[in-house]
Amino acid sequence: MSRLLVVDDEANIRLLYSEELADEGYEVVTAGSIVEATEKLQLGTFDLAVLDIKLKNESGIELLQQLVKEHHDLPVILCSAFSCYKDDFSSWLADGYVVKSGDLTELKHEIARVLAKKAQKANAGL
Amino acid sequence: MDWECCWDRDVIEMGDCPNIHEGDEDLLASRRRRILEKCSDCEKFRRDLGRFNDSGHPLASVLDLVHGEYQRQRNQIHSLVSFLDNKTIEIRFMHELGVVLQSSVDLEEVLSVALTAITAGKGFGMNRAFLLLADREAGLLKGYLAIGPRNLEEASQTWNEILSNDMDLKTLAQNFRLNKLSTERAKFHDILEQLKVPLSHHEHIAIKALDSKHPLLIEDAFHHPDVDPNFAAQLGVDTFLLMPLISRNRRVGLIIADNCITHRSITDEDMHSLETFSFPVAFAIERASLYDKLQIELSRATEAGKKLKEQQELIVRMESMALVGRITSSIAHSVRNPLMIIGGFARSILKNTPSSDPKRDFIESIVSETQQLEGVLDEILNYSDSLYPTRDFWDVTQLIETALRDTADVLMMRGYASGYSPEHDLPAVYIDFKQISYCLRTVLQSDIDGMGDDRTIAVSSYRNGESVVIRIEDRSRTLSQAELDHILVPFSETRDLGAGLGLALCKTILEKQGIPFEARAGTEAGVIYTITLPTHKEEQQ
Repeated sequence: MSRLLVVDDEANIRLLYSEELADEGYEVVTAGSIVEATEKLQLGTFDLAVLDIKLKNESGIELLQQLVKEHHDLPVILCSAFSCYKDDFSSWLADGYVVKSGDLTELKHEIARVLAKKAQKANAGL
Repeated sequence: MDWECCWDRDVIEMGDCPNIHEGDEDLLASRRRRILEKCSDCEKFRRDLGRFNDSGHPLASVLDLVHGEYQRQRNQIHSLVSFLDNKTIEIRFMHELGVVLQSSVDLEEVLSVALTAITAGKGFGMNRAFLLLADREAGLLKGYLAIGPRNLEEASQTWNEILSNDMDLKTLAQNFRLNKLSTERAKFHDILEQLKVPLSHHEHIAIKALDSKHPLLIEDAFHHPDVDPNFAAQLGVDTFLLMPLISRNRRVGLIIADNCITHRSITDEDMHSLETFSFPVAFAIERASLYDKLQIELSRATEAGKKLKEQQELIVRMESMALVGRITSSIAHSVRNPLMIIGGFARSILKNTPSSDPKRDFIESIVSETQQLEGVLDEILNYSDSLYPTRDFWDVTQLIETALRDTADVLMMRGYASGYSPEHDLPAVYIDFKQISYCLRTVLQSDIDGMGDDRTIAVSSYRNGESVVIRIEDRSRTLSQAELDHILVPFSETRDLGAGLGLALCKTILEKQGIPFEARAGTEAGVIYTITLPTHKEEQQ
């Protein structure tokens, strides 16, 4: 079972993601801030992280940069209310980008795609 | 003693004095005036004076002395009067010249006046004049303009023309400028082209004249020790005058004048008059040149001012746009998250609600309404993004393939097949990639409910002049042109046609960037969309 870290400052969104992604067969761990996400990352390993870009007074992009530096094997999908970040160079470090929507189909597709790619890489021994 | 002359008679008859002619009748009865004005030049009087001398009278020698002195002084007065008359004419001419020069700041006009003045008969009456101007940037004294006939035939023709039209200097100069300036320039082009002397060449006679700031009369130029034989050969005369044009101690230029046709000698008087003339001319030339420069600077300053104003307006607009951006961004965050949560949980509940549950319809309504609100939110955000176009050169094939990839899932779900056929070697297009991508995606997905059996979307791109056209043919829809036009009007009621705000917003976004967007109903079925993208920066507004 793939283990996902979902970082979002909205408790209801964290709950929605937890429910929906758990239904898809993932083990979901959530965090409401960068500090909490960092703590969770230190405590366990994850197969993928789903990050919100706007985290109250923090930026998910900063967390993304931190993850790329310190957990470079961990794929990241950015999830935001703003489609404009998709074309932002700083967001290109992420493995996927999804605009937030009540319909989680796209997010689920993207998670499956990124995990498959990760598995493919691991099999190839890269 | 018998006298031959009539000086001793108070009244005489016409014919008694050989020097009294018609018009002098009042002298017949005025002995005093007759003696003073006529006797001195009379042969009869001189013979009477000789006889008086021969008589041995002691006063005779005194009278002879007084008469001689009278004649000398009278000649001197005549000469002075003639000189003063000439000076009066010259002063009048200089005044006319001054008025004309002072009233003009047009370099061509000033030069026309100057050269006309030198060569006009009522001016200095020289046959030919060349004007050389100092080009400080190039460090050269260069031939600029010339006036005068090149042969006797042309000279006669020109002088007869001037004589038959008694024109003042200003009219002459205007006539020259309008009718002859370009022809004279062309006529003397070969000589003017050769008349180039470095300003640093202080040994050259032209620069010597400039340095001395005084006119130089060159005679026997072909054998003159100070004259370069090439220079004399260029002018083709052996006598000419070099007149420096100096203004505020600066070397403005040089006038070379000669009498190549009449060969009239150039006198000291000519030189002196021309020297007087050269000061206002030099000043007027410099003033006109400065005015030209001033005009250029003024137009630059005006242009800079205009740009500055545009920039200021842009800054103000950007600030207001930034405000709009901040507001929409805030709305996006504040609205999207609750919408997402409502829609997400509604979907989640719907998933676990059996179809027999009477509440399922309500939940489905929540799902569909939130979905529609999310669509509206997307459109608003995309429109707000369009306020900040970030243009660059992009590959059109990459643009279309990206849009097709992004919409592939949706199109597939709806049972659509899409294909793209690009023309080879298309130039890059100058666009905001993100916005055009959005518009393309919207157009590709605009067919909400296909009505026909042929569910294909054919995309092609081709060059059209300086633009690249993207053509999207959606073969499934059957709409009239009126319905299509209705769809393209923002905020018109289009729900019954199955389309949202998307196409209208696309049209607005594209047109704001000066990109033509057309939706045309196919002849039998389908809709054809064309987006004409620029390949150059200038084409966009």
